[in-house]
Amino acid sequence: MTESKRVIVSPKSAPVENNWWVHMILVTVFMIAVIPVLWVVMTAFMTKTQTQVMPPEIFFKPSFNAFGVIVRQFGMLTFMAHSIIIAVASTFFSVTIGTFCAYALARFSFPGKEDVSFWILTNRMMPAVAVILPIFMIFQTFGLLDTFVGIIFLYTAMQLPFVVWMLKGYFEDIPREFEEVALVDGDTWLGAFRKVVLPLMRPSITAASIFVLILSWNEYAFALFLTGTNTRTLPPSVVTFTVSTEVSFDLLGAAAVIIAGPILLFVVFVQKQFVRGLSMGMVR
Amino acid sequence: MGAVSVDKLGKTFGAMNAVKAIDFAIGDGEFVFFLGPSGCGKTTTLRMLSGLLMPTGGQISIGGRDVTYLHPRHRNVGMVFQQNVLYGHLSVFENLAYPLRVRRVSGTEIRKRVREVARTLQIDDVLTRMPGQLSAGQSQRVAIGRMLVRDADVFLMDEPISHLDAKLRAHMRAELRHLQKQLGVTTVFVSHDQLEAMSMADRIMVMEGGVVQQFATPQEIFDRPVNLFVASFVGEPHLNTLDVTLELRDGVVTLAGRGVAVAAPPGWIDETVVRANIGRDLALGVRPEHVDVAIAAAADTIPGKLYAIEPLGAEDLFTVDVSGRFVQARIAADRAATFPTPVRDPIHVRFAPDHLYLFDKETGRTLAQASFTKRRRS
Repeated sequence: MTESKRVIVSPKSAPVENNWWVHMILVTVFMIAVIPVLWVVMTAFMTKTQTQVMPPEIFFKPSFNAFGVIVRQFGMLTFMAHSIIIAVASTFFSVTIGTFCAYALARFSFPGKEDVSFWILTNRMMPAVAVILPIFMIFQTFGLLDTFVGIIFLYTAMQLPFVVWMLKGYFEDIPREFEEVALVDGDTWLGAFRKVVLPLMRPSITAASIFVLILSWNEYAFALFLTGTNTRTLPPSVVTFTVSTEVSFDLLGAAAVIIAGPILLFVVFVQKQFVRGLSMGMVR
Repeated sequence: MGAVSVDKLGKTFGAMNAVKAIDFAIGDGEFVFFLGPSGCGKTTTLRMLSGLLMPTGGQISIGGRDVTYLHPRHRNVGMVFQQNVLYGHLSVFENLAYPLRVRRVSGTEIRKRVREVARTLQIDDVLTRMPGQLSAGQSQRVAIGRMLVRDADVFLMDEPISHLDAKLRAHMRAELRHLQKQLGVTTVFVSHDQLEAMSMADRIMVMEGGVVQQFATPQEIFDRPVNLFVASFVGEPHLNTLDVTLELRDGVVTLAGRGVAVAAPPGWIDETVVRANIGRDLALGVRPEHVDVAIAAAADTIPGKLYAIEPLGAEDLFTVDVSGRFVQARIAADRAATFPTPVRDPIHVRFAPDHLYLFDKETGRTLAQASFTKRRRS
């Protein structure tokens, strides 16, 4: 009984948040994540000898030699053009087809609907290495090796499940009433889709496009096997000219900067759109 | 132009029979309510009228035209949904213009008609705003405006005001009623709120279990319910019911149950009904406004215990425990103040004899309507 008589009195002011340790953890994680990236960027501006110095130099005189070599000697800009063509085209096709597909799966009920959505997902279940050989042989048979049509077709098929599954959820979040109102107002299904649903979905579709673009841009395994001199994209090209008898870290660094730079800038630029699209369903 | 007639209309979802071959007819310009609890088939019926849902059987005609399996866009009906759906990417003006744009009405005509509707609904000052910047009442008006902007034959409303706050809802009730009478367009309004239905409707169609229970004027529904379901669905607070059996005590028709014995006023129950129901399980009904309370026992009172008193402002709602069943009574506040009765004290209730209803417990059918309604008719 005596214990329960102890009275806890409120302090005079609200307790002050004291969570410095959270910041410590965040800083540590940040350092671990960022230092390798920073080091790659630094090597891009070193000469070959500077990259091999032990212990590594943190302060050095930057040079643009490596960039000059990969652009002039190895034709990096051509590969970049290939990358842009392939990434943009496959993004366009996979998002266009995927949007219709996701809408159908979200709105209409038809026999085998669940099977179709699962089958779409299975396309992404196999790791690239498991299917590369058969795909290589198929491409060889149809003469698709080292063609834009072939690799764009493959990337579209590869990104489709992702687009469908991401957008399906967002379509389901849009109340049916939006189309129903349009239908009663005198519109057709397609009209309702175009004029009412698509504008609502724009942020989500944009987010999906950004994601797919990044995935296509960075794809390595298929590009390495299925593209040749005519269509080679950035990621596999890097290996061919930086790794011979030894690894040229200066060239590797410069190539990494050229590959990651545009997409990094792009993401910084569209970040707001991206977050808005991803969080669309949640804030309503 | 806007008369609706429905013949053996039915809808099944898989094994569930949502609407069971119902018939009804709505006159041109009538304001009709589909009233019932959730899952009674009222919304399904409305959606079949709009064409958003195709019936499994039966026929619907609007203005004499068979529209049973027509697409919504060919029916010329206007609809307002429960969830207030405005196109967030379009301005209020464009939202209102949408039905006209779809019909390829000319620009000048669109501007003229949208202005007109906006003026009627008093939203002409928000035409340039986006839906996100509107208050709940304004966006509801815009949704209604989209229905008014073209000459629809029938207006369909699926609980359009049920999510508004109480004050705005009361305001919109009067406004919608006024608007409907002003425009004279046949209107079907789905609601589960009996107060809404009673206050706005020309006629109410009470539904339950996919079946039309009663289709009549609000007063008729309230005064002469065809069965126990209708009687207890309308009226707030609910009709009091007590389980009784019909007995003849010394030649007097008596309704007796646990702790209750009410002598039936002479002439209330038909002779034939009395003879057919002696000894059967029945339900005695009386509305809370026709129950009185008293401290002292009398010949026509039923003893109970006071359970709770809820002050409602002008009235107090007394809940009395009569042998395990609750009976509610609405007592004027100043009279209620004369009862210094604490909870759990004995109290007596008295039923107004000409406001008693008698129902068949098994079928729910009304066996005897309150006798005051007979008097009113003669």
